[in-house]
Amino acid sequence: MSNYPKFAVVGHPNKGKSSIVASLSLDSSIQIGNTPGTTQVKRGFPLKVDGEIIYELFDTPGFQRARRVFACLQEHDDVPADKRADVVSEFVFKHKENEQFRDEVELLEPILNGAGIIYVVDASKPYGAEYEIEMEILRWCGQPSMAILNLIGEEDYREDWTRALGQYFRMVRTYNPMTARHNEHIELLESMAQLKEEWTKPIKKAIIVLDELYDKKVDESIDTLVNYMVEVLSLVHKQKIKKEEASPEEKEEAKLDYRKKILQLEKKERKSIEKIWNHSEIEKNEATLALERVGLFSKESASIFGLTQKELIVSSVATGATAGATIDLLAVGHTMLLGALVGGVVGGVGAMFGFDNLYEVKVLGKSLGRRELTIGPMQNLNFPYVLLGRSLYHACMVAKRSHAVRGNLDLEDSTFTQELMEGENRKGLEKLHLKLRKADELEEEVLEAYKKLIKKIFLKLL
Amino acid sequence: MKNNTANFSLKSYLDLAQLLTKYRGTHEENRAFALSQKEQGLKLLSLWKDKNLHRVLDELDSFKYLHYLTLFTSLFGFTLLLLGFFTGVALLSYSGSQPVNVIYLLLVMVGFPLFSMFLSLLSLFTGNIGAKIFSHFSPLYYLEKVINFFPFAKQIDFSALPFSSTLSKWIFLKRLQLFSFLFALGLFLALVFTVVSKDIAFAWSSTLAIDPVAFQHVLSFLASPWQNFFPSSVPSLELIEVSHYFRLGDKLDANMVQNADKLGAWWKFLAMATLTYALLLRLVFWFMMKLGFNQQLKKEVLRLEGVKKLLKEFYTPFVSTASLKPEQHLEVKNESTFLATEIFSDKYASLLAWNYDEKTLLLLQDTNKITATKSYVVGGKNSFAQDKAIVDGLQGKVLIYVKAWEPPTMDFMDFLEEVLAKGSVNSVEVCPLGTANENYSSNASDMKMWLQKLETIHSEKLEVIDV
Repeated sequence: MSNYPKFAVVGHPNKGKSSIVASLSLDSSIQIGNTPGTTQVKRGFPLKVDGEIIYELFDTPGFQRARRVFACLQEHDDVPADKRADVVSEFVFKHKENEQFRDEVELLEPILNGAGIIYVVDASKPYGAEYEIEMEILRWCGQPSMAILNLIGEEDYREDWTRALGQYFRMVRTYNPMTARHNEHIELLESMAQLKEEWTKPIKKAIIVLDELYDKKVDESIDTLVNYMVEVLSLVHKQKIKKEEASPEEKEEAKLDYRKKILQLEKKERKSIEKIWNHSEIEKNEATLALERVGLFSKESASIFGLTQKELIVSSVATGATAGATIDLLAVGHTMLLGALVGGVVGGVGAMFGFDNLYEVKVLGKSLGRRELTIGPMQNLNFPYVLLGRSLYHACMVAKRSHAVRGNLDLEDSTFTQELMEGENRKGLEKLHLKLRKADELEEEVLEAYKKLIKKIFLKLL
Repeated sequence: MKNNTANFSLKSYLDLAQLLTKYRGTHEENRAFALSQKEQGLKLLSLWKDKNLHRVLDELDSFKYLHYLTLFTSLFGFTLLLLGFFTGVALLSYSGSQPVNVIYLLLVMVGFPLFSMFLSLLSLFTGNIGAKIFSHFSPLYYLEKVINFFPFAKQIDFSALPFSSTLSKWIFLKRLQLFSFLFALGLFLALVFTVVSKDIAFAWSSTLAIDPVAFQHVLSFLASPWQNFFPSSVPSLELIEVSHYFRLGDKLDANMVQNADKLGAWWKFLAMATLTYALLLRLVFWFMMKLGFNQQLKKEVLRLEGVKKLLKEFYTPFVSTASLKPEQHLEVKNESTFLATEIFSDKYASLLAWNYDEKTLLLLQDTNKITATKSYVVGGKNSFAQDKAIVDGLQGKVLIYVKAWEPPTMDFMDFLEEVLAKGSVNSVEVCPLGTANENYSSNASDMKMWLQKLETIHSEKLEVIDV
């Protein structure tokens, strides 16, 4: 028999058992619904590390005929406490094929096979004495147990529930699978580790593994995001042209293709981020992500995720002035701070013109008499902020999203850029964005510095 | 200690790059592969490439590129060998009237190779700028342009190959050493061939007024690598003096004619100089470039898109949380044809409160102003016998209060069916109620859940009340 810890998540129907399992197993594919009986059979969700199972969670159907089951159990007169689990086993064995007790058999089986009990209740609804029969049946199973208070609605009856549950379960914890984050997940696991002495070690191991997994996901997200930024910022689209000069149609066609490429890259990046966080089935708010409507290339988008022209000028002045001040410093003040002044003016003026300047269209002569039209890299100074703002926000929302949530991902938040654009971050980003446009000459150090900065912002947002 | 580095060749590098564009494996597969191997690092990467290369169904880029490179190398190698040979023959052409100028030979056989080696070093230490200047000095730069017009070159998209400018520089420099070696070999063979087949008189001549003693010092310095092994191949001061030649005069100096047997002795020095500086030193350079190329290739392998992730996957434990058992998907009906009424009847024969206590039952009765002859608490902690006794006594119109937020369990459905089956019961109204804080009003989603479940009973006696 396997020695790893097992936990059966049980309870009344529709109390969020599957949501809790989805959240703890990081699996967004589990069917969750407010129709009783959504979970029809028990399913094990093992946490495996290189094929070795560390612990296993069981999602189970809810109690349907608890009173009837308990009545069957009570048919045995004066069962001593040490024999009660045998009585439950006998019941499960006897009714294995009985359709009437299908749900109870499914939920009791893993417990009788050694799984710890995680009893889930909805603490946003009043306590009811009818739950006591379920709790009594679970007590008969004689396995280590804890209760989870899940707050599905807005009201809070946790006090009443805690008083009642405390009489049946060793531990009572609050866990909301819809809003739970990584640290709450880990806290719950720490509680589960206390249920049985032998389970402490494997659960601690699981905690380390999950922490590492979380860090890995953060790093992978940063890599994906940074690679995407480099790819888009340095993107050059080439198109052959028929004559000496590109016709307006050829220019328009090239611009469309260029935009299409950027949109494709954004789509690819979004998919990768969602895959990293195991949210492959995620449904996004189309209105927000439909780039045709938001328009990466329109000025309006700047106020959503990019900087406003004013912010951009301030940021560019600051960067230019810093560069100028360095010259002043090298000249030990002989330049009378002219460097900072000139640098600031140059940066600011550049930003003023760069705001509307989207991309350059060039016609380059090629060998063998062929000519081609090139578009890019994107010159708009605000463009990297639009790009980064959108991507960071998406990545952040995906990373924070619980696997129990089934609704659309809402990606509208106009205040998001404020976090991104805090003083030091803005200066750092401005410098690095200029370098990212030259992918061929991009030094490893620049890339690392950019990753470090993005990670800092990302972790803060998380 | 395990050997963690593998000698990636250009072929394996190209193969890996092409494979990575087609296939990268999953974390699970890659980790399983890494655990099954003893090797680590690049060697492990190389084994992974060998294992998965069959997945590339197109023609390998390496095959086309290396074919091109081999063809290019062979063509130019052979051309340069011939060029070297004929240059040597031309330089050593001796009509019998004028001797062959040693200085001229030294410039081509020693000076030129040393200069090109210097440029190679320059390009190594000055990055790409040096390489760019250097490439424009070399005829190979132009030859490479010419080769682009050959049909086989058009079969390869060079811009798509994963070569950085630094790697291209190393490929170029390594090959340049080979071409220079072959050119020098041609020269050397021409020297041997000419010396054997002809009787050549060597002399030295320069517009600059070079003192024979100073010249001898220079030559001795040049000959220092071999003077201890082959002292006869170091030109003596006497040989230098007798072979000093002036361009004026239409015939050879009498002194030179007198020492005609000695003039041929220069060949040993020339042969050793070519062997040492143009061939052996070139081999050393070739070896250096080979080492540099291998080092650069290793760096480039690590920079290939996907490699870092792959290596990370090799060393990071694979964590999975998915269930092995497929989900039994429940088809959820969105709409219910069963409709709820909003008005209570005037009077009920019995009022049942499912899963409520006595106190709440009285409160509910009072709140909703329900007139019922009898009222009972059912379900909850009641035994089946208690419930059965209540059901046995039911008749007429029955109202059942249920908690709207609690889903209708089978326990309730069994009870309801029992009540409906009772002949003395005319009708049954089920009323899902909200919490006290909601003023006992049920919300739409809870009501929908009850309607959907209750309609499965298909009884004309059954009604649902939505307050």
